[in-house]
Amino acid sequence: MNVVVVGAGLAGLTAATDLVARGAEVTVLEAREQVGGRTRGLEVEPGGWVDAGAAYLGERHTALTALLAELDLKTTPASVAGAGRFALRDEGRTRPGRFPPLSAVALGEMFDALEEVTRLVRPDAPWLTQDAARLDGVTAERWAAEHLRHPDARLFFPLFLGEMMAADPARVSVLHMAFYLRSGGGIRYLNAFEGGAQEWRIAGGAHQLCERLAAALGDRVRLGEPVRALHQDAGGVTATTPRGPVRGTHAVVAVPPVLADAIDHRPGPPAPRSTPATGPGCAVKVHLVYPSPLWRELGLSGWSVSAEGPLLSTVDDSPAGGRAGVLTGFVTGGEAIRYAALPAAEQRELAVAQAARLFPELPPPIAFHLTDWVNEPHSRGCYAALFGPGDWLRLGPGLAAPHGRVHWAGTETSTEFFGLMEGAIRSGHRVAAEITWRETP
Amino acid sequence: MNVDAVSAVFREVLEISEVNADSDFFVMGGDSLLATRVLSAVARATGVELEFDDLLDAPTPNALSKKIAEAA
Repeated sequence: MNVVVVGAGLAGLTAATDLVARGAEVTVLEAREQVGGRTRGLEVEPGGWVDAGAAYLGERHTALTALLAELDLKTTPASVAGAGRFALRDEGRTRPGRFPPLSAVALGEMFDALEEVTRLVRPDAPWLTQDAARLDGVTAERWAAEHLRHPDARLFFPLFLGEMMAADPARVSVLHMAFYLRSGGGIRYLNAFEGGAQEWRIAGGAHQLCERLAAALGDRVRLGEPVRALHQDAGGVTATTPRGPVRGTHAVVAVPPVLADAIDHRPGPPAPRSTPATGPGCAVKVHLVYPSPLWRELGLSGWSVSAEGPLLSTVDDSPAGGRAGVLTGFVTGGEAIRYAALPAAEQRELAVAQAARLFPELPPPIAFHLTDWVNEPHSRGCYAALFGPGDWLRLGPGLAAPHGRVHWAGTETSTEFFGLMEGAIRSGHRVAAEITWRETP
Repeated sequence: MNVDAVSAVFREVLEISEVNADSDFFVMGGDSLLATRVLSAVARATGVELEFDDLLDAPTPNALSKKIAEAA
């Protein structure tokens, strides 16, 4: 068994690690000059790292938790005590916790409606959901216009969807919205810090997962080698990179759907993995660095929610045990697309000005970092690909179905915890098992 | 809305069966998101629109039932 793995993110490296453990020869081909995919570390002070990409986990993320133990990595609690700041209907309201100062009944009606549509979905095969064609054909924006009457619910809905799945409601189907929320454990689990999907961060940064997996794989991992073609014949698969061909008995494609489609497959797969409606996850992550977490001394958590961008929400992501204070700003949904298109100086100016309005007590940040996932050529979005109208019915059945000797991994191929690190890891285990099973006499 | 009806709402929203008149919503696993769903159910049943802080003040079926009666 000799397997070529395309992509050195969590899915590809998990698959490679499993396959090596089962005696396979493995070559991992990574387009970037670094491993990690949609996880990325940013050093904000010597030894102090924050996550520029995927960051959070909770206790239902069992494959990730197991991987952390294997790699001797620890978690750190993500929630911070104190009051939040809210600029929704008016500027700079302060109130305890994370709950926005909007009509609780209106938000309750919104969550009731989301809960109802989320329950309709068949999570293991969303395209087989009863009434799938109707749910797949309508955008989340249209659904909201029909189901949400209260202005507070209409105001909060796009912010909620941006935060949960980095989506613009106008560009995802209701089926994808409902599936995503269900796949991640339901709206309560996905929304919660304590007892939910944001319970912890990884101490020292999530990027260490891929770094440690890659270190153990050694020179099996080759950087700066984008795979342009995958040609299958009776004996195996040939992957072609700018440095030449790499031969295997099987291949694992562990890159997002749009990038998997950009590879020249011969023979071509029976169905595409993306369509023109398939959009990038719309997230830009901004890090504002302060000398220390100054807001904590003022009884503030660093949490904020704003109706106007670019920073639709902020959260305290200060490295545990470090000195620096870090506010992470999330720019998501349609706002991320607009913001990502601005010149760098304007991006910085807008973010710093908004932080000053939200937190007038704070001095200007001492450093500013911006990670644009929307235009990242080797990810094409983050948290994950967003399925637009029609996508689930067209793409769903083929997402994880092997194409001859080519097998598919990546968080978008996992119906469990789709879009999360957990989904990526589960897909890596699944694909390694698939190939091993085929090779077992 | 009597204590039994409020208890029934707690059970439905928390997805647990062991709720009694003095069960604290937030101790039983309730958070702010689920709290809004209790308040929307109360509004549907009674027309009374309470705020999140009302449930923080009155987190048991007993106390919330009284609060609803006061507001009605």
